[in-house]
Amino acid sequence: MATLVLDNGAYTAKIGYSQEKVSVIPNCQFRSKTSRLKTFTANQLDEIKDPSGLFYILPFQKGYLVNWDVQRKVWDHLFGKEMFKVEFADTSIIITEPYFNFTSIQESMNEILFEEYQFQSALRTNTGFLSAHHYFHNKPSELCCLVVDTGFSFTHISPYCRSRKMKEGIRRINVGGKLLTNHLKEIISYRQLHVMDETHVINQVKEDVCYVSQQFYMDMEIAQMKGEENTVMRDYVLPDFSSIKKGFCKPREEMVFSGKYKTGEQILRLANERFAVPEILFHPSDIGIQEMGIPEAIVHSIQSLPEEMQPHFYQNIVLTGGNTLLPGFRERLEAELRSLVPAHLPVSVLLPANPICYSWEGGKLLAHHPDYDEMVVTREEYEENGHCICEEKFDI
Amino acid sequence: MVLEKKGSARVEAGQRRVLDEATRQRRLTRQLEALEKDNFQDDPLSSLPPPGPTARLPAFSETEEPEKKKRKTRGDHFKQRFRKNFTTLLEEENLSEKPEPNYLSATAPPSSLPPRHFCCVCGFPSHYTCTTCGGRYCSTKCLCTHRETRCLKWTL
Repeated sequence: MATLVLDNGAYTAKIGYSQEKVSVIPNCQFRSKTSRLKTFTANQLDEIKDPSGLFYILPFQKGYLVNWDVQRKVWDHLFGKEMFKVEFADTSIIITEPYFNFTSIQESMNEILFEEYQFQSALRTNTGFLSAHHYFHNKPSELCCLVVDTGFSFTHISPYCRSRKMKEGIRRINVGGKLLTNHLKEIISYRQLHVMDETHVINQVKEDVCYVSQQFYMDMEIAQMKGEENTVMRDYVLPDFSSIKKGFCKPREEMVFSGKYKTGEQILRLANERFAVPEILFHPSDIGIQEMGIPEAIVHSIQSLPEEMQPHFYQNIVLTGGNTLLPGFRERLEAELRSLVPAHLPVSVLLPANPICYSWEGGKLLAHHPDYDEMVVTREEYEENGHCICEEKFDI
Repeated sequence: MVLEKKGSARVEAGQRRVLDEATRQRRLTRQLEALEKDNFQDDPLSSLPPPGPTARLPAFSETEEPEKKKRKTRGDHFKQRFRKNFTTLLEEENLSEKPEPNYLSATAPPSSLPPRHFCCVCGFPSHYTCTTCGGRYCSTKCLCTHRETRCLKWTL
């Protein structure tokens, strides 16, 4: 029997069989200005030659699955013959969902997996559980682990002790990659060029030029300088999707510090935007969100746990989710935690090689675990007992 | 006379409309809500003339007849039961009566650090507050831009 692992994120689905490699695929549908009548699903995004003004149709709202029509179109595509060719009667699925998922969403999920697709068996779990499983697999001597998952919709801090989650320690910060991109879009549109329609392009700008500052106010001073001295400033060449397929940063030696470029490309000049945008993860109050930043929330979470466990959590922090790929994220987090945590406790923050797929890899390991068959709910069991059996067996 | 000239900025402030705390809060909420939007623009499909009554556009044209039929009934079933948005779902959960921890109690509390202020025009650290709307600015130049462009925007 095959096992399909699906980390069903709000922006990308991480999917693959437990014997194979992972694929990261957009978990949404698109419409494009150039072919208005067609709706593109998931990785059909690659077929769109001119993705300017790309329109997103997302199955998730604030991180929770609400638009089932879209989700099922994406799943039909992923499970279908073009992609994973799932033999449902002979396949087990591991699928993820957010913390404190709503009961009605969970029940819809059961119904769709068992009644519509008719999977042989299923394991519904939280993304953090798979990450923690991965972590404990690599470090079998550790007892505790704190998963920081900062994704598209929000950021979760979740403590795990011997693969059991400690619900009372879970903290959510309502800042994610979507908010960062939208904020960047907003300030660029106000300060230089109207790009409100260009979520897709500006998301790429964010991934290419944004970084987490190590000394915020010093970087602010540098960003304010004129000409060559301003080492923070970058000129970003926007794609026009004919001769320039993908945006890029002008190399430093080609930058024109005063006056205009003669090449006629569309340029965005970015200085404090580069680090002020990711800064929202560390200080949500900068834009008026009255919540703690990640380092403070980590301390708040750990302090709510039994005292004898606390040192173990500070030593085993693991970062997952796309935002952790911002350069300098790990270093800044570790430095801020160091100054918040008592000096005699060691602090260690791990950034895995692939933080986006870390939990998927955990799911892959779980599928090969000897106890896996006891963790799943089979279709027979579901048909016999309904939703209760899922509620009983799944720790969510 | 001299006194009046000196305090011109304040006199001017007195003449300008000053937004109260509730309006400022409402404005902030709207700004934050805008940051949650999936798209700023309208659906490109909606700008086309509406298709005929029978043609709700299928995502994939080449599916066989029997499967199409099955999917249609499935869709109806889901439309009735699962067509809810986030806010409705959250209300339905009735979390205030459920034991903690839950979705609401897991939200990170407000920070204990003092808030930092940035110029709403250029993004650099700011020292001054706009008397009208409470927005921050860093220099006269930015204040002028702010007044001309955004000061009373997003106010009902």
